[in-house]
Amino acid sequence: MEVGLTHYLILAGALFLTGTAGVLTRRNSLIMFMSVEIMLSSVNIVFAAYSRASGDLSGHVFVLMNFAVAAAEAAIGLAILVEIFRLRRSVNVDDLNSLME
Amino acid sequence: MTNVAGMDLATQLSALLPYLVLAAGGLLVMLVDAFVKSLRKEHLSMLSLLVLLGVAVANFTGSMSLSDRTLLGGMVVNDQYSWFFNMLFVAVALLTVTFASGLYDRDGHYRAEFYPLVLFATLGMMLLVAATDLMTLFLALETMSLSVYVLVAGNRGSLRSSEAGFKYLIMGAFASAFLLMGMALLYGETGGTSYAMIGDTIAGMNSASLLLKLATGLILIGFGFKIAMVPFHMWTPDVYEGAPCYVTGFMATGVKAAAVAALLRFAWLTLPVLADVWFPVLMVLAVVTMTYGNLVALSQNSIKRMLAYSSIAHAGYLLMGVLAYLQTGRDIGVATRAEEVGVAAGGAVLFYLVGYALMNLGAFGIVTYLSKDRKHEADTIDGYAGLAQKRPVAAASLAVFLFSLAGIPPTVGFVGKFYIFDAVVKADLLPLAIWGVVNSLLSVYYYLRVIMTMYMKPAEDDSYSGGSWETVFAAGVLALMVLMLGVMPGTLSQLARNTFKFMAY
Repeated sequence: MEVGLTHYLILAGALFLTGTAGVLTRRNSLIMFMSVEIMLSSVNIVFAAYSRASGDLSGHVFVLMNFAVAAAEAAIGLAILVEIFRLRRSVNVDDLNSLME
Repeated sequence: MTNVAGMDLATQLSALLPYLVLAAGGLLVMLVDAFVKSLRKEHLSMLSLLVLLGVAVANFTGSMSLSDRTLLGGMVVNDQYSWFFNMLFVAVALLTVTFASGLYDRDGHYRAEFYPLVLFATLGMMLLVAATDLMTLFLALETMSLSVYVLVAGNRGSLRSSEAGFKYLIMGAFASAFLLMGMALLYGETGGTSYAMIGDTIAGMNSASLLLKLATGLILIGFGFKIAMVPFHMWTPDVYEGAPCYVTGFMATGVKAAAVAALLRFAWLTLPVLADVWFPVLMVLAVVTMTYGNLVALSQNSIKRMLAYSSIAHAGYLLMGVLAYLQTGRDIGVATRAEEVGVAAGGAVLFYLVGYALMNLGAFGIVTYLSKDRKHEADTIDGYAGLAQKRPVAAASLAVFLFSLAGIPPTVGFVGKFYIFDAVVKADLLPLAIWGVVNSLLSVYYYLRVIMTMYMKPAEDDSYSGGSWETVFAAGVLALMVLMLGVMPGTLSQLARNTFKFMAY
């Protein structure tokens, strides 16, 4: 069987849904972060697959941009998490309730 | 399409001058903070104000030779639309820096990173509106968002601020993933990332493919998060409450205006798909957004939370304007006078964004003015009792802003709402306009409550009182502008309509 564009899209879709479910159901902020990264990776698969299928390079360039932005986002997110851990000794989002009414 | 080689470098650079000045200025402020040791606290805010003034001048003189110019091989465009919003964002940033300088001086800790971050966030907003390629759109959005995440969490040592920053970041990254997935599918379905390519492909299609519909829907979700559209609004109250109040003002006006402006350009690009497929969904969401925002705002005791729910409601009004524009792309009676209705709708949204920026920024400016320091913000509505006697100018300005947010004449808020409802009626969406009016009436209650507290109740010992003069001066000027534009909206409204016309028709 030849692995074609559709297969890549299905794989990416499955990864994307996995990540979405992770963000929505998990309560540990680090796992939530990881789930967002999974979603971003699934996007990279879509870009690369389309780019290869059409022979157009801009999809590949987009993937590189994506890496850079995801790394910056993770750096900022982890910095904020460290700050929260210092103040609260927990990274569980259920403990983040100082803003609830 | 002009490419880099097709236009000489000097022309391109001069057209890009506002962005270059801002980027270099942000770096300069950072370097000055790191290496100039004898720095006094006011110096960085003065330097940031100078940089922003420089950007305003560069943008203004750039407009003299303005013609729609595609720059950097189709990555960004220099048109009247981007010019208009550049001016708005620079004004928002100028006011934010002015408001923040007062608070920082009275604060025990001095955090210099605030200034470059505001400058970089402003750069992101400007590029977001100028972007004509999915790649620049994404990078600009992230430049803006990443800076704002840090600004929200910037009140170090405060759990509320860090928590707000974390919530905003997780939700923002989640939304970015949806937006990106939409962009990837759009790229796959149209074969390119540039707006020119996407527009041509969509125009040549008979009917949109399933993946293309999905792609535009996912991108709408991404924008929906940024403008706080229900059901993607969950982060708004917490983040608005937890962030320092001058940052909240910056987010509520700048980030929202940038996202709506980019959404309008995107709506113009994919008009046939959005109008065919997503119009009914967006209509329901607009109705739910304004109703939800207004209903929940009624029961708030924190002024920042109240303004957060009010900002959700205002996202609903703005969406009404976007819907009136989308109506012109549908295959019904309105299509025969598409340009007239479209210009009215787009112009109304642009006007409303300017008005909303003035009044909301002013309201947050007064909250900043009354806050003693970053640990004790003037947040509970009861604390505003007797403000009219103690600080008459601040109380009067806040009253003007709240009247304007409620849409009571003669303020810019009233005129803005009038233009939006007018465009909605022109687009044959009368029930939507009626529902918008009902919502405005509902919102009067919670804005008036604050005004009543300020003017009718006697001051108590723990009532809030004053701050630095430059904040209340800036807020007073804003209040005058809100009134002035409420009486003479003609010039700005004409400019807004022309701006949208040049972009879309």
